[in-house]
Amino acid sequence: MTNSKANRQNPREPASELLPEEIYARLQAQTRRHFLRSFTAGLGTMFLGTLAPPLVSSSMAGEIDTNGMRRLDFTRDPKSPLAALPPQFAPRAKRVIYLHMAGAPSQLELFEHKPELTKLDGQDCPMSFLTGKRFAFINGVPKLLGAQYPFHQTGQSGQWISDRLPHLAKHIDDLCLIKSMRTDQFNHAPAQLLVQTGDARLGHPALGSWVLYGLGTENQNLPGFIVLLSGGNSPDGGKQLWGPGFLPSVYQGVQCRSHGEPVLYLDNPPKVSRSLRRSMLDAIDQINQQSYSEFGNPETVTRIAQYEMSFRMQMEATDAMDIRKEPDAVRAAYGSKPGESSFANNCLVARRLAERGVRYIQLYHWGWDSHGSNAKEALNIGFADRCREVDQPMAALLADLKARGMMEDTLVVWGGEFGRTSMRENRGGQAMTLIGRDHNPGAFTIWMAGGGVKPGITFGQTDEMGYEIVKDPVEVRDLHATILYILGFDHHKLNYSYQGLDQKVTGVKPSRVVADVLA
Amino acid sequence: MFWHDHVRLRRGWLSVFHEFMTLSVHNFSSRVWFGLLTLAPILILPVLVLLAPPDGNERAQLLQFFGRFHVLAIHLPIALLAMAPVLELAGRSRHFPYLLPSAGFLLGVATCGAIVAAVLGWCLARSGGYSGPLVTQHMWGGVAVAFAAWLCWVFRARSSESHLDPVYAIALLATVGLVSFTGYRGGQVSQGENHLTEHMPAQLRPLLGLPASEISETISSNGGPATFYAAHIQPVFTGHCVGCHGRAKHRANLRLYSYNAVMRGSKHGPVIKAGDPKGSKLFHRVTLPPTDDDFMPAQNKPPLSPNEVKLIELWISAGASGTQLADSVKDLPSDAAPLTAVAEVNFEQFDPVAIAKQRAGLALIVAQLQQRFPGALDYESRGSADLVINACLLGSKFGDNDLAALAPLSEHIVVADFSGTAITSSSSSALSAMKRLRSLRLMHTKITDATVQALAPLSQLESLNLFDTPATPAALTAIGHLPKLRHLYVHETKISPDAPMSEAMKEKIIF
Repeated sequence: MTNSKANRQNPREPASELLPEEIYARLQAQTRRHFLRSFTAGLGTMFLGTLAPPLVSSSMAGEIDTNGMRRLDFTRDPKSPLAALPPQFAPRAKRVIYLHMAGAPSQLELFEHKPELTKLDGQDCPMSFLTGKRFAFINGVPKLLGAQYPFHQTGQSGQWISDRLPHLAKHIDDLCLIKSMRTDQFNHAPAQLLVQTGDARLGHPALGSWVLYGLGTENQNLPGFIVLLSGGNSPDGGKQLWGPGFLPSVYQGVQCRSHGEPVLYLDNPPKVSRSLRRSMLDAIDQINQQSYSEFGNPETVTRIAQYEMSFRMQMEATDAMDIRKEPDAVRAAYGSKPGESSFANNCLVARRLAERGVRYIQLYHWGWDSHGSNAKEALNIGFADRCREVDQPMAALLADLKARGMMEDTLVVWGGEFGRTSMRENRGGQAMTLIGRDHNPGAFTIWMAGGGVKPGITFGQTDEMGYEIVKDPVEVRDLHATILYILGFDHHKLNYSYQGLDQKVTGVKPSRVVADVLA
Repeated sequence: MFWHDHVRLRRGWLSVFHEFMTLSVHNFSSRVWFGLLTLAPILILPVLVLLAPPDGNERAQLLQFFGRFHVLAIHLPIALLAMAPVLELAGRSRHFPYLLPSAGFLLGVATCGAIVAAVLGWCLARSGGYSGPLVTQHMWGGVAVAFAAWLCWVFRARSSESHLDPVYAIALLATVGLVSFTGYRGGQVSQGENHLTEHMPAQLRPLLGLPASEISETISSNGGPATFYAAHIQPVFTGHCVGCHGRAKHRANLRLYSYNAVMRGSKHGPVIKAGDPKGSKLFHRVTLPPTDDDFMPAQNKPPLSPNEVKLIELWISAGASGTQLADSVKDLPSDAAPLTAVAEVNFEQFDPVAIAKQRAGLALIVAQLQQRFPGALDYESRGSADLVINACLLGSKFGDNDLAALAPLSEHIVVADFSGTAITSSSSSALSAMKRLRSLRLMHTKITDATVQALAPLSQLESLNLFDTPATPAALTAIGHLPKLRHLYVHETKISPDAPMSEAMKEKIIF
């Protein structure tokens, strides 16, 4: 009744009881000519409609993406943008711990045993190695450089490893070594961006952001993508390495500190109680809600969610990051000392975060750029220190995950952004006093462990100098596709519409899942 | 008219031919010209069929190009010939007398159409890789139809408005019969031999003396379902290949409708090399990348599934026997487990409608429990109705009563994590009811040996985590018999590496 009254008051809308007459009057105006015209034109339109390629707008909204595949739905309640979603198919792992050795460790001093190169140590590098190549620092004709450290075979799989990683060597049968990684970037920042975001240019989401977007996170009291730094410096690629790119910024990595407050300004200031903080947040939320209903900017929702998460994190994050709560024996195994910012502490924190359901834990350890230009960057000095810093914690992390049964559903990835040359660096064409190697995008080694990868194998092969790939090259995008597959996704289908394209982490070049490394 | 008059005068049986023989060229009417011009190709047609029959080889592009228009061209003469008797009858009724004169013109056009269709048909059959009795019969049928249409056109002159000549009427009916026969054979060639009965309702099939379903027919005609070939291989060929490599069409002279035909091979020789899948042409062609020109099935027909490829590989490796028994081949790929190919992975595809159907029964309970345990319960994947429960984030808030609430879903839970929860041994029976569990985590809980022993019926269990629990070596005996168990985590329990245990257990246990 109230409705019809309201209608009557509005002269532009016919009252409901007049509607049949209105319809009748309109039908009276319809002639056979109208019918024939709209019928034939309509038929033609329907037919043409089936022929036309889907328009951009319908593709954006519809079920089919620009790759012509059925779109997966990643929409969530705006209030919980990080809610967990099931993967596309049954996953082999549900979380990732990625240990990025920023600066690119030398594979020839760690995993690539090349006796032929050692034999030719000190000889002039053949011209075929140099023509058509670009180097960061090598000039003229450099000398070949053999391995600086002795190698030995170990484990049941009998894989070669150098004496710099004695702890990790005990886990060699758990590692899946990929010795044929390849990149097309020979400078740190773009190469790191390529490894971490799938593109050498700025503005693309980190792999962790993609994973968080696809799977969400189980623990709503912690960020789903946490970044921990060590080695005294940030990686060259900067914070873009864990940036959300064009994804909503709620999916960005959250950089945590491994001592003090894990996230700066997370604690309440003195004399501010938790309930006061709560009512403050409620007021801010209201204002943000208003702004959202007015402008509909998804970033506003992100902001609300971030405030809420920070509030929840006050308790849980502090607890998760507090390695003093670990027994002494565990801390000793990692070689971690509370209060300092070390790779060891970060590894232990990584395990604690993994236990608490954090989806993607990214560690960076800086200082692997062994050019030989100074002591810290020399293969014979600084490099050995770096190895010592990471060897025991990595091994402890693997052992710890294994004992807790978490290797079954955690994928651990270790690697740099490119490899190093088989030639000794001769910066400016001069012989250098310290020993170092230049950047080699043509071949580098990474390893993976846990979550559905074959343990104790080597995939891919480089030539006798360890300089170029001779078998089974793996592009960075192939690695991404493989990681996503392990997490239960077809990399073509984990996509996000941006600038008229269904963007994906593997980009537009063909990429494949490296099936041979899957158990 | 000249022709008309003569026929009227002399109604001898062969009068029409007599006219051709006796008339001088200068006196030919347009009608005679037409008759002669159409007769010429009709006489050439059987020569073509005899001297250049379809032999299963593919030929010149141009010939194929024209040949493909056959299917387009045949429908006009078919319809016109079917229409001719209708016009003859209707035109003699009171209502449609004006139709009668058009029947002759109709037959003339039909004759031309039949000739064009028949010539194009020969192009297609000769160049498109066809051979076999069906094609041959279809071709002779086509030639006969063209000639019959021509005869009808000629004989029609014997009839008048008042009189329907019996010879003409019979010729007309015979032509329609011929058209039906030829059209049916043509359908068999292009759509498959049983294209009319393939989807016939099962109730009607016995009326025609057909077996109850198509599949059983295939099996019984290949030496009984007991052989591996009949049970697994022939259905693949029947499903994907016989459209082009069957009884009717023998593309590349290859026939895949029976074991003997398969082993006979193609015009290039055998396609199966017993014991050597990689060396077998057939296997090679179906395993090429789909974009390859040589990939089979060709022309964007649906490719063989990985399982079907695997079956063929198994069959060839095992000697490509036609008599090997089905149950003697082990390691058959099952439909449930996706095949991890060596070089490429298969992204599992799923049908959202089918999944929704599978989930329908439990969706309501799942939704309720998701409300109760936020973030703890979900489907394993988007393509599955199996459930994963992860209660470890609920911590001590999750107790025995909460676990009991999962009871309606017990059979659907495949992965369960109760680490750090407050569950105790009273949950033993609730846990043992989760019969399909693959992975169970009980880290940091108070569960005892009694609970572990209750897990004995979990035949699917692959991983059991007892890290930091009161479990003792006594628990080992019960779970030692779990058939699929691969990992048992006992760090920080009373179970030490010195505890007595079987050798098999030593390989699974992780301290």
